[in-house]
Amino acid sequence: MASVSATCLRFQPLCSQSNKTNQAAGLKLVSVGWGKSTGFPSLTASRFRVSCAAKPETVEKVINIVRKQLALTPETVLTNETEFVELGADSLDTVEIVMTLEEEFDINVEEENSQNVSTVQEVADMIEELVQKKAAGGS
Amino acid sequence: MSSFVQKMRSFQRNFSVSPFPLLPLQLPSPLETHVWFVMPDEFKSVSLLNQYMELLSPCEKENVLSMRGDQLQKRALLARTLVRTTIARYQINNHVVDPRSLKFKRNVHGKPQLEWESDDGQCPSPLHFNISHTSSLIACGVTVNSPIGIDVEEKQRKIKNDILAFARRYFSLHEVEHLSAISDSEVQRQEFVKLWTLKEAYVKALGRGFSAAPFKTFTIRIKNATERGFDCSDYLESGASEVVVESSDHPVSLTNNWKFGLFELASSHYAAICTEKEKTSDDGMSAPMRLTVWKTIPFVEDECISGTEAVVPIAGLIKQF
Repeated sequence: MASVSATCLRFQPLCSQSNKTNQAAGLKLVSVGWGKSTGFPSLTASRFRVSCAAKPETVEKVINIVRKQLALTPETVLTNETEFVELGADSLDTVEIVMTLEEEFDINVEEENSQNVSTVQEVADMIEELVQKKAAGGS
Repeated sequence: MSSFVQKMRSFQRNFSVSPFPLLPLQLPSPLETHVWFVMPDEFKSVSLLNQYMELLSPCEKENVLSMRGDQLQKRALLARTLVRTTIARYQINNHVVDPRSLKFKRNVHGKPQLEWESDDGQCPSPLHFNISHTSSLIACGVTVNSPIGIDVEEKQRKIKNDILAFARRYFSLHEVEHLSAISDSEVQRQEFVKLWTLKEAYVKALGRGFSAAPFKTFTIRIKNATERGFDCSDYLESGASEVVVESSDHPVSLTNNWKFGLFELASSHYAAICTEKEKTSDDGMSAPMRLTVWKTIPFVEDECISGTEAVVPIAGLIKQF
């Protein structure tokens, strides 16, 4: 189910350090999702206004959930920059991971966003943003 | 560097590759669906895998090498090899093309498609394809003049989340009811996996994928033949059921366009295929999916397995050739 395809371009996130917090609202995380996602990656650039990059604990939780879902061997290196497709995640894996994350963080991820994230860091950032929005009384 | 890559690099130095010729294939007729699949465990020859690597574009090679671990690299390599060699063999304009020369592009939602320059530069390729893979099987479906979506899942696939919670979150109301009514948890898991493959095949045939066609927005049902009141004598093997898709979001005229086939493949997988119905059909029964399935080792051998116990229809009108 995952399609393997060429990624010739990948923009690095402007801020990928998980220990940075409270980034200025002007920072844009532009990720060209094509070629590096499960199922049909979205061709449109997914832009996340990173108002607060993910806390290390969040990244850690995401990593643990991903490890469990994909039954990774302990030797498999998994960092915040790891792309899910590099780990052999298929679309059911991705959706299962998203669901587990929703339960873990008590948030709701819209389907159109669930495949716009391709790395651990991007997922963690998205979660952080949703958690923040919720705390602020948003959706 | 993974040992897989190391082995391949050392072979590259000593090995001058001249690929065995690819045997040509007849294009599927407009009513036919061809399925080609490989099983990664059957590929142990480093020299053969090396030949395959030579078929890939530079971007594809880079992609293969970025996969974490030998098995994933092999899987990625075999997926691209399967697509390139299979398509190359179908005689368009009466000759087998060099698999290396094929170019691919993606539609707006990311579905891979063949980029094809016809003589007048206008016509898109008549050949449609779609792939799906699990750790133990990679399948490529091929049709002519009809979009195709294919999804394969291991029969034994375990779902980490609670199945009904997952279904309530992602599936339609009717589908949740259908799954809830199953009391045996193993049967429920199997039905869940089958339903997932059908839904995936549908959104892949649409060319939209999960993100752009949320699973909650459509329902897939399996209707018994008796409900439709047609003659089942031709379809003894399939138990004569029809798979239909319904959507409150989409008009009937859209969802009526699609037909499905669900079958057990190689005793280990569920495979679902979705293709467009032929244009001549009205609201009544459409012609069955004319299915041919081959297991292949590119450059080495093909084995036609349709009509054997390796292909067992489960739902949808399937006729095997």
